[in-house]
Amino acid sequence: MDHLTSSKLTSGVHCLNIRHKGMYVTSGPYPEELNFYDPYDATAYWCVETQRGFGPDGKPVRPDMCSGDRECCRH
Amino acid sequence: MKAFAYVNATNEREVVAALKTDGIALPLAGGQDLLARMKDYIDSPDRIVNVKNALDTTVTSTPEGGLKIGAAVKIIDLYENQQVARMYPALNAAAIEIGTPQIRHQATVGGNINQRPRCWYYRNEEFVCYKKGGSRCFAVDGENQYHAIFGNDGPSHIVHPSSLAVPFAAYGARFRVLGPKGDREIAASDFFTMPTLASVLKENVLEDEEILTHVILPAPGNVRSGHYEVRYKASHDWPLAFTTVVLTMNGNRIGSARVVLGAVAPVPWRSKPAEAALAGKPLNEDTAMLAAEAAVSEAKPMSGNAYKVQMAKTAVKRAIMRAAGLKTV
Amino acid sequence: MTWGWRVAKYTWPEKPTLLSTRVLRLDGPDKVAGRARYTYDINRPGMIYGRIVRSPYPHARVTSIDLAAAQTAPGVKAVVAYRNPGDEVHYQGDPVAAVAADTEERARDAARLVRVRWEPLPHVSIEAQAMDAAAPKWSTTQENTRPGVRQETGNLETGFNDAAHVVEQTYSTHVITHVCLETHGTVCEWDGDKLTAWVSTQGVHQCAQGFAQALGIPQANVRVITQYMGGGFGSKFAPDSQGIICAKLAKLANAPVKLMLDRKEEHLDTGNRPSAFAHIRAGVSAEGKLTAFDGRSWGTGGAGAGSNFPLPYLYQFPNRKRVHTDVYINAGQQRAMRAPGHPQGCFLTEILMDELADRVKIDPVEFRIRNAPPIAPNAQWIKYFQEGARRFGWEKRHPTGDPTPGPIKTGMGVSAHLWGGAGRGSTAHVDINPDGSVVVKCGTQDLGTGTRTIVTIVAAETLGVPMNAITTEIGDTQYPFSGGSGGSTTAASVSPAIRVTCTDALNQLFAKVAPTVGVQPDDLVAEGGRIRGATDASKSVAWKDACKLLGTEPISVDGKWQDGLSGAGTSGVQFSEVTVDIETGIVRIKRILAMQDCGLIVDRLTAESQVYGGVIAAINFALYEDRLLDRVTGQMVNPNMEFYLLAGMSDVPQIDVVLNDMPERGVIGIGEPPTVSTASAIANAVRNATGATIRSLPLHPHKVLAAIEQQRAGGTN
Repeated sequence: MDHLTSSKLTSGVHCLNIRHKGMYVTSGPYPEELNFYDPYDATAYWCVETQRGFGPDGKPVRPDMCSGDRECCRH
Repeated sequence: MKAFAYVNATNEREVVAALKTDGIALPLAGGQDLLARMKDYIDSPDRIVNVKNALDTTVTSTPEGGLKIGAAVKIIDLYENQQVARMYPALNAAAIEIGTPQIRHQATVGGNINQRPRCWYYRNEEFVCYKKGGSRCFAVDGENQYHAIFGNDGPSHIVHPSSLAVPFAAYGARFRVLGPKGDREIAASDFFTMPTLASVLKENVLEDEEILTHVILPAPGNVRSGHYEVRYKASHDWPLAFTTVVLTMNGNRIGSARVVLGAVAPVPWRSKPAEAALAGKPLNEDTAMLAAEAAVSEAKPMSGNAYKVQMAKTAVKRAIMRAAGLKTV
Repeated sequence: MTWGWRVAKYTWPEKPTLLSTRVLRLDGPDKVAGRARYTYDINRPGMIYGRIVRSPYPHARVTSIDLAAAQTAPGVKAVVAYRNPGDEVHYQGDPVAAVAADTEERARDAARLVRVRWEPLPHVSIEAQAMDAAAPKWSTTQENTRPGVRQETGNLETGFNDAAHVVEQTYSTHVITHVCLETHGTVCEWDGDKLTAWVSTQGVHQCAQGFAQALGIPQANVRVITQYMGGGFGSKFAPDSQGIICAKLAKLANAPVKLMLDRKEEHLDTGNRPSAFAHIRAGVSAEGKLTAFDGRSWGTGGAGAGSNFPLPYLYQFPNRKRVHTDVYINAGQQRAMRAPGHPQGCFLTEILMDELADRVKIDPVEFRIRNAPPIAPNAQWIKYFQEGARRFGWEKRHPTGDPTPGPIKTGMGVSAHLWGGAGRGSTAHVDINPDGSVVVKCGTQDLGTGTRTIVTIVAAETLGVPMNAITTEIGDTQYPFSGGSGGSTTAASVSPAIRVTCTDALNQLFAKVAPTVGVQPDDLVAEGGRIRGATDASKSVAWKDACKLLGTEPISVDGKWQDGLSGAGTSGVQFSEVTVDIETGIVRIKRILAMQDCGLIVDRLTAESQVYGGVIAAINFALYEDRLLDRVTGQMVNPNMEFYLLAGMSDVPQIDVVLNDMPERGVIGIGEPPTVSTASAIANAVRNATGATIRSLPLHPHKVLAAIEQQRAGGTN
């Protein structure tokens, strides 16, 4: 259910190299889940280039970190 | 893993001869401990001396009415030995709780007695503790939930890992040791050493070129014995506290007692206060509770293991109740 | 060309012969006999072994890396530095270099000869410590905390005004690791610029993308194979650093390289379930209705990774407020782990639920029924509470605190959970050959859950042939795309794809054989190894004879998942009975009852196995597993299976699984839900047994004894 609850990755804002499980799992929608709890983001992110949770610059991979002003960001 | 020489000894003398080297020589029996230490780079011997074919693999009767157990007897064979089960039921009870079926089919009596501590600081290479030639015991300020609650004067705060050493000490066993100067016998209770700065690299009196060859158990006499282990998991886990009691009976009353606790101190921990509390008393649950209280009266837990005091107390109580033939829970 | 049959409408059969029955997993015999070859078992000609050099420090700066001694060590074929001087490492196990040598032992020895000089930096290992403003920072450039946004619904003040009772407590769960029995790892082999990688992974196609992008090669040049796999639990969706290092070593050494992590590396650097803490104030009305929930939560996903979870979970608090703070420490990063967030949110909520129920003196089952969402196909809790209580003998449950004399106290507990489990997107290919053989190909992978078996079941069911007539090919990027196996989506993605593809293929065969049978294609059915008239069974042809009509041209069909064969949303309730030895604090679980649905059950046996596995994993979460970092050095003290405890056979109780078959909902995944509520059901049972509330996992004896002591001294409420 990651794709529903993770922060949206916005093209032009977030780095194209950011990855999370929800992007690799072909999951169908389940909007009713929000009847049972509020949205939350449990997602673990990684960089497709480094294959780790740290980018090429050694800083963590997260939507709030992986946006325009990092040198390693790809758009 | 460092390359090592391998000596396949065929008798006791060859073992002793092979243990003599300028480098480090270590005996290999069941290999349950040594191989793991080598893989984890805790020990890197220059020479491995296989003692499986050299040491006694039998249990025999002694002229005094006791048993002589070869150091190379496997745990499973000790457990399945009918004489052991009849004469020393607490030893039989301890044997079946060791490790797993696979381990019991490989591990030996001598290896069990001589295994190194399971302390997680000792077992992880990063922590250069006293036992690895360092200058601190990481358990003191660190994670000590499985460490000692008795004998905590330091410098090391391990608990001795041997399950068999405890009943051996309680039954008054003696260990036969062979070295370059011949053999000697040491009481099980004197074999294990409390850590000092000078002795902290090992847990017993065995010299580098000596090998433990036999455990000699005295005739049991008119005793009742009981064994109880507190384990978190039902199998494949180290006991958190355990006790063997051996009670010399005087009619319905306890004459003298030996109470030895395991997994609570750097050595099998003989509790004189518990023994005193038992002497002359009727063998019943009230006595067991008093002795259990006495047993932990001198406990000095560390920052994170006070809970083990309660476990040790329970182990003492229940071991006595088992000796009395009472239901433990 | 006119095919002459109607546009296929894809449905599941009303009277299946294989679907929803108990089918033994196809590869069971191969696994038991040791014939199944896992990544660990792959050995290639000339293969050498890789080994990664890792940081022993939780936080340090690399000042220099000297590879010279390793390069000249015996048997060494390749050495690479993975980090540069000046780089910062953020956790014990952070990779810094790697070697490859002709034997595994020599690789390990050589790795120790890589001389890394470090400048150790102050570290932080404990959540509470990290949140202190004066604490050392986990990173020289980052803060230790990241406050989340405040979520608010209804009116808290009204909610607490309506409350007859208020409970205010702190609850927590701990960090555990995935502990896959097969560790992470890869065998990489280059043929020119083409890479073949055998990977222990939950996603072969997804790993291929990872290799391609990280190595800068076309994805077309990457083949990933995973025939057998020893568990992933959410931690195996990418090649990871070890996969990329393995490929680089193989290129450098010009030889296939096997690089499997050892157990210690597995604990340190392949993910974990974040910790979860919440300080909660909650209100309940005199009638036993939840009125208000005010929660402040935090947790750590390790070095720079998030830790959020759903809270409150499932039950309906009309007025609620919550804010979550991510806390960062110097420890390996979290990864998705079997129902990410749910076990944490479930535990924190469900322990609170029992405390609230006690305040209003309502039975915990009844209390939950009053506050659970209304019954719906995806929300069966109320039904499961009622039916489960009956099956479990809940009426025998005593009020809190077992009054029986003696040290062994018995108690019962209950908890509920949910999951989505919707799939989509899988594609498949089927060949029906003129000799009657059938080959089904799908680029999914079997993590040990039974995917290979359910693919075969669906194909055999659809084509009306026995399962042994189907050759199932999965676990290879040479087969059609399928998603990574996570989020309990695989069965719901793959089963429809196989159904659609095989239905299309069968319709082609029907068209071919219709003239021979003398029945219109639309009126043909395939079952029992024959194709026959739907209304006139006397008109039929054996499968083999039907296929002979194909001559030299097989039927070769591609198809994909379509809507209507799968669904979304599962619910479950679990009951547990435990004993607690109050003189040792040791908890033993007597039995677990799992009430669970997963839509249309494909294979009842493997579905039940999923529940068993989930429950056992959760028993480990409740009682045994605990990633312990040394509070002084920040290094893990139990990176093994000796003091990182896992249930053995003797610790696993009787587990009764009641699966609610809901064929009308289509296939829904079941991998994650059964592992969510077990731990809280166990903790609530411990509370019921002892009268003492333990608000943090694991339920280690030291906590149980302390809670009992506290209870005696005046209560834990």
